[in-house]
Amino acid sequence: MNDFRFALRQLVKSPGFTAVAILTLALGIGACTAVLSLVNALLIRPLPYRAPQELVLLWQKFSAQGLDQIPVSAPEYLDYEKQTTSFEHIAAFDYTDLNLTGGDLPERIQSAVVAPSLFPLLGVAPIQGRFFTNDEFGEGRDNVVILSARLWQRRFNSDPNLIGKQIALNGSNFTVIGIMPAKFQFPLPLFGIQGGTFAGPVDIWKPIAFTKNELESRGSRSYGVIGRLKKGISSAQAQVEIDTIHANWLKQFPDNYNADVRFGGTLYPLHEQVVGGMQTALLILLAAVGVVLLIACANLTTMLLARAGACEREFAIRVALGATRTQILRQILCESVLLAVIGGAAGSLLAVWGLDLLRAIGVQTVPRIAEANLDVRVLVVMLAVSIGTGILFGIIPALASGNPEVTEALKEGGRTSTAGVPRNRVRNALVIAEVAMALVLLVSAGLLMKSFARLQNVDPGFNSRNVLTTEIALPVAKYPRGKPVADLFAEATRRINALPGVETAAFTSILPLSGTNSDSSFAIEGRNPMAEKVYPDEEIRVITPEYFQVLKTSLLRGRAFTDADTADSPKVVIINEAMAKKWFPNTDPIGKRITFSDPRKPDVEWVTIVGVVATMRHRGLEEEGKPEYYLPHTQRSNRAMVLAVRSKQDPRSLTSAIRDEIRRMDPDLPAANVRTLEQVTSDSIAPRRLSVVLIGVFAAVALVLAAVGIYGVMSFLVVQRTHEIGVRMALGAQRSDVLRLVMGHALRLVLIGAAIGLAIALVSSRALQAMLYNVGAFDISTFVLVTLALGSVALLASYIPAVRATRADPMIALGHNG
Amino acid sequence: MIKLKNLERFYPLTKEKFFYVLRDINLEIQEGDFVSIMGPSGAGKSTLLHILGMHDHGWTGEYFFEETAVHNLKPKERATLRNEQIGFVFQQYHLLDDLTVYENLDIPLSYRHYSKSERTALVADMLDRFQIVGKKDLYPRQLSGGQQQLVGVARAIIAEPNLLLADEPTGNLHSSQGEEIMGLFRKLNDEGMTIIQVTHSEKNASYGKRIIQLRDGWIVN
Ligand SMILES: Nc1ncnc2c1ncn2[C@@H]1O[C@H](COP(=O)(O)OP(=O)(O)OP(=O)(O)O)[C@@H](O)[C@H]1O
Ligand SMILES: [Mg+2]
Repeated sequence: MNDFRFALRQLVKSPGFTAVAILTLALGIGACTAVLSLVNALLIRPLPYRAPQELVLLWQKFSAQGLDQIPVSAPEYLDYEKQTTSFEHIAAFDYTDLNLTGGDLPERIQSAVVAPSLFPLLGVAPIQGRFFTNDEFGEGRDNVVILSARLWQRRFNSDPNLIGKQIALNGSNFTVIGIMPAKFQFPLPLFGIQGGTFAGPVDIWKPIAFTKNELESRGSRSYGVIGRLKKGISSAQAQVEIDTIHANWLKQFPDNYNADVRFGGTLYPLHEQVVGGMQTALLILLAAVGVVLLIACANLTTMLLARAGACEREFAIRVALGATRTQILRQILCESVLLAVIGGAAGSLLAVWGLDLLRAIGVQTVPRIAEANLDVRVLVVMLAVSIGTGILFGIIPALASGNPEVTEALKEGGRTSTAGVPRNRVRNALVIAEVAMALVLLVSAGLLMKSFARLQNVDPGFNSRNVLTTEIALPVAKYPRGKPVADLFAEATRRINALPGVETAAFTSILPLSGTNSDSSFAIEGRNPMAEKVYPDEEIRVITPEYFQVLKTSLLRGRAFTDADTADSPKVVIINEAMAKKWFPNTDPIGKRITFSDPRKPDVEWVTIVGVVATMRHRGLEEEGKPEYYLPHTQRSNRAMVLAVRSKQDPRSLTSAIRDEIRRMDPDLPAANVRTLEQVTSDSIAPRRLSVVLIGVFAAVALVLAAVGIYGVMSFLVVQRTHEIGVRMALGAQRSDVLRLVMGHALRLVLIGAAIGLAIALVSSRALQAMLYNVGAFDISTFVLVTLALGSVALLASYIPAVRATRADPMIALGHNG
Repeated sequence: MIKLKNLERFYPLTKEKFFYVLRDINLEIQEGDFVSIMGPSGAGKSTLLHILGMHDHGWTGEYFFEETAVHNLKPKERATLRNEQIGFVFQQYHLLDDLTVYENLDIPLSYRHYSKSERTALVADMLDRFQIVGKKDLYPRQLSGGQQQLVGVARAIIAEPNLLLADEPTGNLHSSQGEEIMGLFRKLNDEGMTIIQVTHSEKNASYGKRIIQLRDGWIVN
């Protein structure tokens, strides 16, 4: 205890050293623990299902058309279910929306339809109630639901008697039969299902009820398929079985699987699917963590080495006065442990905050990020590393103090000892290494930030300012396909247009950059797909007339839709520029006709192209827009539409007015997912933002640590060279000469470090290439700017000790009598 | 050359109490003089030397260096004056360990307005004059104490000062080495250099022209 009190006094006595050491420990431990916890949660920790390594996803492909990882149709799924033997269970699933009514406000709930086998397949037990039975699989028997614990708490106040009760969804009654635990999540985003990319966590699961239509159509693919491999069956063996089934289909249904399209399917391990897209980003982050940790360790080492030098004399005196080596060791251990404990505590705090921040940034877009908790094992490893470093470098002077050169150390006194020279070399090398590593990180961060800025300035083909969007899904029961649907959207458009503050309002089936998508194949008049072996299939949207006006997307040729385009008028379509270039090169597409029916059959219904609009970016800001075509909602009705409203002022101010207006039209209709179009755009680059923020934070931490390191080493240098500086001042050196002496030393180290760092960055930035947008890996301006920034920070860090050096009093430095 | 009037140096002990190191010093030193300051340990000899050398600024009273009123100068102006006029020799030699003899001699010149060629010429001159040409590439630790102090003196006068201040320059040397340094001082003084040294030895003081006795901060004569 006495030792600890003494250690505490020692630390308080040299506040500079203590502050630097604790700051280094806290930043190093904090940043690294936060990110390692995240990486562990996302990449390493198994998925929260039973034996997740046995789980695989099955996706189909049409290689000839470049279509990969596409979902499965109902008849196909039923074939898999019947014919495969490799799987313990196999289950289809899809996202859906359900309108929950009966409370104060109708609310649209993110939901999923699943085959009853899904829950036993995943092997996660409900916290209340039971799973679906096979009897509940099919139309008319599907009026049962399982809720998430979250919805149960939020909407039903954790009612312990909810099981067996009925709730109103989409205007019908459903019985609640089970509640899943809070941590349970399925499907996970990024499964790649259309509509799932940006979908939030699912709160209601309902059995699939394949419609008669679905059961008859092999080509209407919308279901994801997950399977659990039987014990001892490999993914490759299961793949062979799937391939056999597909080969049979080709023979059995030649109309559906034309040989030209090269149909097939692939099994993917679930884990790979979930984290696949993030692997590069996470590995880069991991590298960044490593670099920061190295810098922190280098910092700690320089600090402790400096201290060791300073303490050598003290220990020598103590030994001369009769202290044993053990006593001195104990004193050093106390100090190191105390430092590590304080630094570790501060680091843990930083880690907790850091994780909160990461979760807040990534919650919408990074799957499983909610699972990322402070990982105690990581924290313990970090603490052990730092205490280890502390003890190792604390012990060196203690061991040195045991040897017979004690008297030497005493005699040398305040003067530069020759033993200091190799130690100085180590310190200089460490500073050079820190600068080099910090520069590598800064260059990476700089390149990513520049990419991000470029991306934000991309013209997406529409104007996202002052537009509010909200999703409205009409339940089938109340709005059967056709006229009532079109009428409701037309009426809603009319009413919202009349609201004060509204400039224009329109509906679309799919909003750009929203992560949802839909495509449909068609045939072009006068071309023979069989002969040409091309089967046009492009992205399709259903819109109301003012859509392009709301988005400010330019009409390049022809006309927009009008109210004169009705269900009974001639069928019309508008295509985008990319589609015009692809399918109508060198000709005017206006007046050309396409069809969605078989053009070889009699009385084909032709659809005439009446307009060409500018291409919008849809899959991401970094990806050029794809061919798209638009149909008027009166001629192709769609029950789930997105309302887009261009406002004269801040669009958010319209939220309640729009909500009220829709409720007046149908009190059971929720306006879901209200977002500004700017937010939609910004959400679409959220994963990239997360990487940029993380790398940026690491670069900043690295910069601070490097600055602290330079500060520490220069401070020590100044103390160590007090005598020299005093002599120089006595011999005529002025303030500026001393500043130049100290900062020149720092600058030399920084220049060498920067040169090495730039050389490494030239290689390492190539690894970033895939994450860069419109910025070269060797972007000169980034390299120059970052180097200048680092240089200035380094000079600033050395300025303070340099100024302190100029205050060296030659009288004291030279000592009165020695 | 130097005139001190009512010069006092004190350190505050508490808020009201002061510890006087130098009391009411009145002193005049002519150009070409060779003064030895003597007195018991703690008398304030080093303190006086540091004040004369314009390192110490915490005193009161008047200090004229030739026509210049040092007490009215700012620290920066004092530094300029010092660089032009004063050279220092220390008991501990205070050569820089990491620099060779040649480089040590060059330090004072590097902080004054000398051209590269002037510096080379002056250093070569000095090495010649002190007969240490053969040692120019050695480091201080490779020299004997006497040789180190020889370099110390050479370094003190290389920038051609008018006044040489020495605080116990032979304190760390054997008597024969001490005599050599004192002989050197004698010679420099004969050539016109004003010298003020602190010494404990009557013998060393006998090389000088005049002795000032300090006791508890007072000049006693
Ligand atoms: N920073 C200081 N604070 C308080 N007192 C000081 C300080 N520096 C010196 N003194 C005191 O001033 C007095 C004179 O010191 P000085 O070094 O001038 O003595 P000295 O005559 O050179 O002695 P010596 O012969 O031992 O070298 C001493 O009593 C010393 O304790
Ligand atoms: Mg003295």
